[in-house]
Amino acid sequence: MKTIKKMTVILGIIVMALVLSVLLSSCEEEIFNPALTRTFTIESPSIGVTYPIQVALPENYNTSGEKFSTIYVLDGDQDFDLVANTCKSLSDRYGAPNVIVVSIGYGRDRSIDYTPTKTGSSTGGAPEFLEFITSELIPKIEQDYNVETTRESRTILGHSYGGLFGAYAFAVNNSVFGNYIMLSPSLWFDDEVSMILEKQNRVDNKDVSQLVFMGIGEAENTGKMQAPFEAYYQILHDNYSDMSLSKNREDDLSHMGSKDPNIVKGLNYYFQNR
Amino acid sequence: MKSLTYLFLACALFVCTTASTQSRIPTAVVRQLTIEPGVGIHTNFGTDFLLTNLVQWNPTKRFSLASHTSFNLNNIYQRDVNYVKTNYNYSINQKFGAGTTFYSKKSSHTALLMIGFKYTAFKETLHNPDLDPVSVTINGFSPDYGLMYSYKKGLKKCFFTFRTYIPLYPWPVKGSNIDYIDGNRDSIAVELGIGLKIK
Repeated sequence: MKTIKKMTVILGIIVMALVLSVLLSSCEEEIFNPALTRTFTIESPSIGVTYPIQVALPENYNTSGEKFSTIYVLDGDQDFDLVANTCKSLSDRYGAPNVIVVSIGYGRDRSIDYTPTKTGSSTGGAPEFLEFITSELIPKIEQDYNVETTRESRTILGHSYGGLFGAYAFAVNNSVFGNYIMLSPSLWFDDEVSMILEKQNRVDNKDVSQLVFMGIGEAENTGKMQAPFEAYYQILHDNYSDMSLSKNREDDLSHMGSKDPNIVKGLNYYFQNR
Repeated sequence: MKSLTYLFLACALFVCTTASTQSRIPTAVVRQLTIEPGVGIHTNFGTDFLLTNLVQWNPTKRFSLASHTSFNLNNIYQRDVNYVKTNYNYSINQKFGAGTTFYSKKSSHTALLMIGFKYTAFKETLHNPDLDPVSVTINGFSPDYGLMYSYKKGLKKCFFTFRTYIPLYPWPVKGSNIDYIDGNRDSIAVELGIGLKIK
């Protein structure tokens, strides 16, 4: 009998070990070339928080003398390497100029920085975070690096609350970014406040040239993601005449599982249509 | 996909090896055919309610074949959030599998490799009075495969049964963060039920 129990335990261990090994082997992350990465911190006097920033430079940054477009990446601590590596490969594939990727790391709780209104103790900091990006971070990047300084040359990329922040920036200060990659955006937040803000500012924004990519996971069925996503897409589609607009639903993938595939597809759309 | 293939090959090899080992088990309760209806939850904070059934056939003492059916009412506690109404949200899983059974004095343990399909259907409607109403309907089939463990306790015709299922689809994980398996993690099923020995 003891032998049978031992075998059961061994079977369990073998199965768990196999699952774990497959999990770990699939979680290898490709680090972006350190020689082309610059890091620094920037303290925001207005917020009182220090943000870690990483900048990914194109390979020909020092030799070409050209000015580059920029992609500002929210949740940068998580997504910097993927975005930087993907931009490099897409630039090579399409023979298009690469971009400078600016990763904004965490200074304080992301749910504060990325949400537009206060619904609790850890939300509602998006207005001052957008002001920080606009008045402090972008001027520093544009002063220290060879980058374009036009609205059309700037992109913001965010996932979940980060996507919500992109929708907020789109609505209330459309002059900062000309391109928006919003992935699984939390448009449901505070009774769809970002969509209400879009409606309020539509007259000012609807004739401006811009690019928007929206992505989501098909399996995001938690009862609040899909309908606002579709409604927002339809609003943009019906009301913005000079917009390059696309959406993507990743088959069978959930909120986090769809993130990286949608980052790649969003950047792909950007490189093809900017 | 290479890793997944290795995983299945290794498990299949193990199952076949143990299934072919017909060692004597003097006190085992061997059931050839059982039906095991049950209820369960997914591990996404218990927001899904499952009605399930496992039919298990042991052609030999060690070798097991099974059919598992599950009707899932998903996300039952969040049906109207921030003006987003869930009109319906359910899924149906049908899987078949093979595995091996171990016996102890009053219970048995079965490990199964399962494969089948999942049908998902849900509809959400945005009904914010300040915005135009919009509905989204998503339904479709997807593969469903993974590992199932079934525990049976009791010597009589009726017995207690517990089982858990770990889905391995979608696979491979498309990302570098362990959180990216959220779809698989939230679909782990935990089920309890009463089993009936047919044969």
